[in-house]
Amino acid sequence: MLDFTILTENWDMYAEGFKVTLLCSLLALIGSFLLGTILAVFRIAPIKPLNWIGTIYVEFFRNIPLLIIAFTIFVGLPTLGISFDGFQAGTIALIIYTSAFIAEAIRAGILAVHKGQTEAARSSGLTYIETMRYVILPQAIKIVIPPLGNQFINLVKNSSILSVIAAGELMYQADLISLRTYVVFDVYIIVALLYLVITLPLSYGVNYLEKRLAKSN
Amino acid sequence: MIYLITIVLNGGNSFKKANIEGFWGFGGNQMIEFKNANKYYGDFHVLKDINLTINKGEVVVIIGPSGSGKSTLLRCINRLETISEGSLTVNGIEVNDKKTDINKLRREIGMVFQHFYLYPHKTVLDNITLAPIKALGQSKEEAKKTAHAYLKKVGIPDKADSFPSQLSGGQQQRVAIARGLAMHPEIMLFDEPTSALDPEMIGEVLDVMKSLAKEGMTMVVVTHEMGFAKEVADRIIFIDKGQILEDADPTEFYVEPKEERAKAFLSRILNH
Repeated sequence: MLDFTILTENWDMYAEGFKVTLLCSLLALIGSFLLGTILAVFRIAPIKPLNWIGTIYVEFFRNIPLLIIAFTIFVGLPTLGISFDGFQAGTIALIIYTSAFIAEAIRAGILAVHKGQTEAARSSGLTYIETMRYVILPQAIKIVIPPLGNQFINLVKNSSILSVIAAGELMYQADLISLRTYVVFDVYIIVALLYLVITLPLSYGVNYLEKRLAKSN
Repeated sequence: MIYLITIVLNGGNSFKKANIEGFWGFGGNQMIEFKNANKYYGDFHVLKDINLTINKGEVVVIIGPSGSGKSTLLRCINRLETISEGSLTVNGIEVNDKKTDINKLRREIGMVFQHFYLYPHKTVLDNITLAPIKALGQSKEEAKKTAHAYLKKVGIPDKADSFPSQLSGGQQQRVAIARGLAMHPEIMLFDEPTSALDPEMIGEVLDVMKSLAKEGMTMVVVTHEMGFAKEVADRIIFIDKGQILEDADPTEFYVEPKEERAKAFLSRILNH
């Protein structure tokens, strides 16, 4: 049976870790969503240099490990005189990494909106940006919500990697507790449950949103 | 032999006609003018040496078999498609000139599509007011007032707060027309506006278009609705394989099309 005294005895550390994981995930979620949307529009904009920037970004950051991005920001950038603490470096790394995946999901969503929508909006005199903002993106988001939900859940779980740069999140705290108490199994099972506390509501929230938006159409 | 003569005669006829219209256009009356316009999709020659002038207030119906290039011709007018060679001016402005502010030009040209393309995430009212607010800079109140006026005009004043999915096809198309009109355009383009409608809804859309024509709107309409063409069109353009084969008065055209291919086309669509 799981020894929950581990949880009560180390409550402060678990709570701190939980708080940091939640905050870091939330910031990264917002940041990667905004950056991902911009990158998606770059990739399909009728301007070649923007396409290139978008494509290079996505193909580069999607295909290297998150850990390397985190290390580079945390250890590499200080050699150039730019330094971040573990939390900042970790959040930035998560934004950079996740936005590449989100850009692809949103791009697919934009392409799934019927071409006639763009034609109707452009032929009424709206600019490309206005067409995107008021006509295409609101429709694309509905299509994109399920894959976006997956990305957000991955993001929360990926934040555990940041324990190696001392971001102070759940996994990092668990490592400390485990070192201090010599307990391995129970400590990490409790961490797993705490991750579920974040990811399950997220998962259900996405499902709910999907159903509600489907109804409004 | 007779066929050849017909072509020659007809060629001469359309040449004469173009000249006459050029003459009228001299007074600054022409809204749309194609001059030796060609369009290619790769090797495929979609539009062949198009010369066409449409004057202010004219209602021009374009007919022709599917794949003949009639929609492409229409879509060139607001640069949804671009011509490859030649010149196309709208209101004296070269459409394909890099210096032309296409968004500004498009505000003057309303367009109605076969499949309506209303914005499904917006209410009818928001569909109509979006471009006036964003592209013309109208205030929300002003745009709403205009929208309500046009909804009344197209006969569905009570649908302002509905979503497009709650409307019938005919109602959706009338919203699309109101959306075009709300920009106060000089020209309205219609790309097979009734082809996606159930038969019982065609009439209500055509009625709106007829009243628009009577008010003096310059209209270019791609359609198979021969009744509409006969009743309100000033001219019929018959196009096949990317070429304008006839540019005629509707009554003349229906009674006695000059071109063999036009005859064949008419007999196919009238006797089905």
